[in-house]
Amino acid sequence: MLRFQKTGYHGLYFPDLGIALDGYHPESDYVFVSHAHADHMPRNRSTSAFATSATIDLMKLRGYRGEATALEFGNPLETDRFKATLYPAGHILGSAMVFLETDEGSLLYTGDYKTPPSPASEGFETPETADFLITEATFGLPIYRWKPIDELVEEIKTFATNSLNNGFTPVFLGYNLGKAQEILHILAPLRLPAMIHGAGYKLCKVYDDHNIDLGSYSAYDRDSCEGQILVAPSSALSNGFASNVSRKKVAYCSGWAANESRRTQLTAHKLIPLSDHLDFFELIRFCKELSPKKVFITHTPNPDVVQHYLDNEGIESSFLDLEAEPKD
Amino acid sequence: MHEIHSSFRALCETLQAIRETRSSNAKISFFAGFLESIDDENELALAVQFTGEGAFDDLSGKRASVGSRTSGLAAAEFCDIDYDLVFKPCRTATGSSSETIERLMANIPHAIDKRSPTERSLSQIMGIFKNLAALSGRDDKKELLHRAWSGMTPVEIKYFIRILGQGSLRIGFETRSVVASIADAFSADREEVRYAHMITGSLGKTVVLAKNQRLHEAAFRLFHPLSFMLASPVESRAVDNLTQYVAEEKFDGMRAQVHVDGKKVRIFSRDLNDITHTFPDVVSFFSDKNLPPAVFDGEICVYENETIQPFQLLQKRMGIKKPGKKVLDKYPSLFIAYDLLYTDGAPIFDLPLSERRDKLQGICDEYQVPVTAQFRVDTFNQLDERFNLALKHGNEGLMLKKTDSPYEYGQRRKSWLKVKKPGGSFDTVVMYAHAGSGKRGGTYSDFTLGISVKNDERYEEEFIPIGKAYGGYTNDELSRMNARIKKLAVERYGPTLGLIPELVVEIEFDDIQVNRRTKAGYTLRLPRFKAIRWDLGPSDVNTLQDVEAFYAKRLNEDRLAQHENPSFTF
Repeated sequence: MLRFQKTGYHGLYFPDLGIALDGYHPESDYVFVSHAHADHMPRNRSTSAFATSATIDLMKLRGYRGEATALEFGNPLETDRFKATLYPAGHILGSAMVFLETDEGSLLYTGDYKTPPSPASEGFETPETADFLITEATFGLPIYRWKPIDELVEEIKTFATNSLNNGFTPVFLGYNLGKAQEILHILAPLRLPAMIHGAGYKLCKVYDDHNIDLGSYSAYDRDSCEGQILVAPSSALSNGFASNVSRKKVAYCSGWAANESRRTQLTAHKLIPLSDHLDFFELIRFCKELSPKKVFITHTPNPDVVQHYLDNEGIESSFLDLEAEPKD
Repeated sequence: MHEIHSSFRALCETLQAIRETRSSNAKISFFAGFLESIDDENELALAVQFTGEGAFDDLSGKRASVGSRTSGLAAAEFCDIDYDLVFKPCRTATGSSSETIERLMANIPHAIDKRSPTERSLSQIMGIFKNLAALSGRDDKKELLHRAWSGMTPVEIKYFIRILGQGSLRIGFETRSVVASIADAFSADREEVRYAHMITGSLGKTVVLAKNQRLHEAAFRLFHPLSFMLASPVESRAVDNLTQYVAEEKFDGMRAQVHVDGKKVRIFSRDLNDITHTFPDVVSFFSDKNLPPAVFDGEICVYENETIQPFQLLQKRMGIKKPGKKVLDKYPSLFIAYDLLYTDGAPIFDLPLSERRDKLQGICDEYQVPVTAQFRVDTFNQLDERFNLALKHGNEGLMLKKTDSPYEYGQRRKSWLKVKKPGGSFDTVVMYAHAGSGKRGGTYSDFTLGISVKNDERYEEEFIPIGKAYGGYTNDELSRMNARIKKLAVERYGPTLGLIPELVVEIEFDDIQVNRRTKAGYTLRLPRFKAIRWDLGPSDVNTLQDVEAFYAKRLNEDRLAQHENPSFTF
């Protein structure tokens, strides 16, 4: 069995391999970073990170100052102790699952992932099987089952065009990295001008560089934003974002939008449950298909529920208490 | 197969659309459009009843008593999932049991297979509600729920459960909006619809009248209860000119409406239930007098030895449908009138209070019906004196009533003000915190409060619950409490956290009642937060002995007899 332990709040360290995943450990020679979200990105300057080139570009824009080596999907890094391969995780641009093959067996670390994948990512691929699986379970309850992406794409486009046709400015609330660009990408075929909140805007360049079409977008400008499609994180509205535009319609795009209570909490006109994680049923199916000897569950307040369902499938599992940073 | 115009599904989809609409005008016109599309009057009446009142109409006072545990267990069985392990965390995540059930029904393959939705009329659904109300065992109820749900879509199941709850549907669409929709649908005046609703006490009857352009027929009728006029607490509505008001003592009894016509007497409670049989002594009091047709508003109290007895004694009669001789002798009741709503063959609630009072006084003098003493208070000093006298009589305090006000049935405005002294306060410890639902989803906003029985030989515990309080705290206090609660939590039962007893809260309440079904044996009337006592610890909280002593004191307080400075005349 591969030995591993927690390092920091949300990282893992494999002492026998000298590897850390999504975290820093002073003894680690290799740090694999699944994607550029804050709760997965190491902060320590002495980190020697391996990640996809998109993830490295995004990390640098978000303040990463350590060393970084690009490792492309399907192009393994081999040492005498392990072979590491990145698989596209379908979560956001650059997101990768890390597949480790060692003498002690193979292990798949999912990071955050989504299958079927986000349209603004490199898609989703997985090794056929792994001995061990470390999986996130952000939406690990059977109340979470996503609508097909085509339906959500239609909802987003219709919301934008209907609002504009009725003289309202459509505002989409989505997280700065990933969700915001996914919304722009979904709306790109409409060929309508869009404005994106500054923190998300500076990250769009990486999407451009990796040929993800974000349509015609510019950085949010308060004085000229009325009548354009607006994209911002959900915290922005209470901080004065577009507060000069009185006629606007707000759509909240997140997996959490599946919960009715978000409507009153955010005073949104529409809840669009567009998630960048897989849903509960996809999670259980994925575990079944990979059929590992053991599953380690992370990033969920309800590991018991996932374990209960894995028990029913005859899959051994346990909870790995890694902290997730709450984000949209 | 005949076509269903107004299916339950169509109603539920309309309700969901209203939920997803933010503008209240848009909500109203949406529902108005739905009402217009219904031809059948019975279906129409049910559509507004389900939306604005619940499975059973307000006047019936009926409920199906299917609790959230019963529907949750039934849903877990239907979906073939574990109730404790799977259903409860789902409910915690959504903050709503009915929403959880809706989504599980939509998601779980097993539950999808079991359902083959067919459109049903609202009267068919009414039939299910009636069948449910007739059952008492949880297993029977669950079986009936399973049968009902197997023919429904998830959104139908959600609203079926919410309508069954007789409370708000939580779609941001309350009675006032339903009334507005009725007016819009049938081109009627909103004020006229509201009036008809007040008179009939029924949204169903109101919509049928509106559809047939017969709203003018909604008239007050003898032996049909009228919604009561309610009083606001004086604190919230400052009085600047006392001379506009008259004062009466506020009796600690049971509000009642007495309809009389000669030998025929009917008594209605504040929730418009017929309570005639509970008070045969009040009935015979009136029937012996052979009054002309009249409707009185007033209070029923236990009255003995020229003294108004504590509410606790009246309470012993309240639940009894047909009291025996022993109870009647031990707790004789008396109706004290303070308003007149109908006389000389016509309703008079549009007359100013002073004129209604003159007529009331006339009837009461002629037929010797007890009537409250009214007195003018011109200064706040006089108000204090009168207030203290009222307390000596064993009454709750004073009512201030605007002399020129009409009888504002069904409303709580500032024409009537109540001046009450809080019953008492205790320092209690927070034992459990419960997650709020809806707007308060995600925060712990309801609290079970405990008193100490540490040195009480009757109990093994250190603390036992004395009551539950929600509200009375500020948002800041609530978030500070929530932060503390998370640290004190030791157990979790779904939306409830069991806490280490450390956080002390001072609560205020109106009165104490005996309640043998609780662990303490007592319950508090209207408990609410007074202060969060960050300065106190669990050893400072009041004991069960304190509660018992308070109760005994209330019961045995010397009460001033009524022969001097009476609070009512007879």
